[in-house]
Amino acid sequence: MCVVEIDGCPKLELACATAVKDGMDVRTGTDRGCEARRVVLEFLLAEHPLDCPVCDKAGECRLQDYYQDHGLFASRFNEAKTKRAKLVPIGKSLLLDRERCILCTRCVRFLEDITRTHELGVFERGNRSEVGTREDREVATNYAGNLVDLCPVGAITDREFRFSTRAWFLKRSASFCPLCGRGCEIWIDQHPGFARTVRSKRIYRVRPKENPRRNGPWMCAAGRRGFAVLDSHRIDQIFRIKDGRRTILTWDKGLHWAALKLEELSAKGHSGRIAVVLNSFLSNEELFLARRLFRDSLHVGSLAFLDPEPGIPDGFLLTSQRSSNRRGARELGFDPAPPDWDRIAETAELLLLFAHPLLDAAAKGPIEKAWNRVRTRILVTPRESGLEAGADVILPSALPAEKPGSWTNIDGSSSAFESALESPGEALAEWRILTGLARELRIDGMAGLESIGRVREDCLRMHPFFKVT
Amino acid sequence: MTVKDGARFAIEVLRGGLITARHFAVNMARHSLRAIGIRTRRTGAVTIQYPEARKQVPSRHRSLHRLLTRPDGRPRCVACMLCLTVCPSECISVEADEDPDPEIQKTPIRFEIDLSRCCFCGFCVEACPEDAIRMDTGILEWGRLGRDDLRIEIWPGPGPGRKI
Ligand code: SF4
Ligand code: SF4
Ligand code: SF4
Repeated sequence: MCVVEIDGCPKLELACATAVKDGMDVRTGTDRGCEARRVVLEFLLAEHPLDCPVCDKAGECRLQDYYQDHGLFASRFNEAKTKRAKLVPIGKSLLLDRERCILCTRCVRFLEDITRTHELGVFERGNRSEVGTREDREVATNYAGNLVDLCPVGAITDREFRFSTRAWFLKRSASFCPLCGRGCEIWIDQHPGFARTVRSKRIYRVRPKENPRRNGPWMCAAGRRGFAVLDSHRIDQIFRIKDGRRTILTWDKGLHWAALKLEELSAKGHSGRIAVVLNSFLSNEELFLARRLFRDSLHVGSLAFLDPEPGIPDGFLLTSQRSSNRRGARELGFDPAPPDWDRIAETAELLLLFAHPLLDAAAKGPIEKAWNRVRTRILVTPRESGLEAGADVILPSALPAEKPGSWTNIDGSSSAFESALESPGEALAEWRILTGLARELRIDGMAGLESIGRVREDCLRMHPFFKVT
Repeated sequence: MTVKDGARFAIEVLRGGLITARHFAVNMARHSLRAIGIRTRRTGAVTIQYPEARKQVPSRHRSLHRLLTRPDGRPRCVACMLCLTVCPSECISVEADEDPDPEIQKTPIRFEIDLSRCCFCGFCVEACPEDAIRMDTGILEWGRLGRDDLRIEIWPGPGPGRKI
């Protein structure tokens, strides 16, 4: 499909297999070239099933695009089309449809050149060639999801996304994956929904967005799957919990209550009894605000970071660090060490916990001991973390994809992002919670930091390191 | 409202009442005369005794949607969502799943139409590549007390619409 005319070459040449030379004169749109591509396309379509109405790729299919560009011709193929296997599981929730496959071998080459795992190959010859797994070994790589994106047609589909919606309903917005230290650039595909149909989820899939200096065009399975979890069990109201009864507050009241408790202790000179637990999913701007508020203004007793446990790196993109911004926290002068829960339990009277999005019942064992000992417990959380019952006030926060900010990945490269999704209900981004607290506490020098632009400016002035290059 | 407006309003109401009364008297007279065998130049107005009597619905009339089935009773619909795409009222919702037959591949597990939004344009019928949806049930009476009751499931609901 990529034949072009090159001056000086008698025959049409394959653009993808010809080395570029100085002074080469390449013509892509000549009649001869277009006609040749049209003929190739006709051969491809002769063997292609008319699956478009039920094919997940429809709407973003290269074959459909080429047909629009080159053909719009009627089919001359009167013979019966060859029947092939349509539902071949090739591993990792991927399904192969051999009728739709156009044998471009992109999938085979990806597994050979990029992941070097060699699970797929082309077997048989000529008309009978087909893609298959070697000796029934399944595609097991962590990067299998990329096969769905790179297959130009709908031959490889993902069980998770399969049939859940159509490509043209999805609205994509750019974001960054928060789940490891790499910070891959991604597209979040969401269905905005219709006026009166309730959708069970907003996000249908996450795809890599090409970023040559970071993730290239790929992303790992954890990033793809992670997002489904983040759309469930959200907290979207401000709660005050007293004697086990929940009442719904407004932001003004919730922030006022929290600020009052902080002020009570700091006014008495007991700031040392305030413990603040942050996490490194927070953006540079938020950590910058937190440092000014908690360390420089309130001089709180302990400031620690509660992050997910490090995992096993896979040697390609996925890092052992399983949160997005530990490097940024370090650059801001924090030591992102896990909290010393025993000390907090003994010394702290007020615990302000910024829960990270992945905090769940499984991780809360040691936390709970301290959590139940402290007198005043303020929980800032985007999701149900299992600590709600013990909190005095719950402030709902936004997920990383729902707020503007910037992160610095493990290589020290910073990236700024805008909010890709709406936050549900009353949930607010942490930077707005922090500026709200500063306003309630009437902290000098933090007035006027009401827009993310201003916070960014201030942060960059003091830390030029975070400049996005 | 001024006194003048009030007076005008009252006069219009009265005039409306008089028109109704006139129609009643004239038609009653025509029917009564006919009953005792006197033929008038024009006959009294005829109304249908709905709901005991009903008008014939023209064959191309667009009424409640239905999903057609294959000979084995499964829906013809392949959940391609093209009707959902073309629908100007955004009132169709389809949930799809794997069909046991790999030739068919995709099948709807729930097909819902929100009649409170549907404008009965028939675009969904035009768009369907499988001739799976039609609006020829002739069912016109689906008034409900709440908007949510107008959200009807035409698949897998028995026949046209589970709640109808
Ligand atoms: S990438 Fe898709 S079309 Fe190309 S060989 Fe693989 S399965 Fe076939
Ligand atoms: S008749 Fe028109 S408005 Fe009603 S469901 Fe079909 S396409 Fe939508
Ligand atoms: S009714 Fe027709 S157009 Fe609508 S989803 Fe089913 S097959 Fe597609």
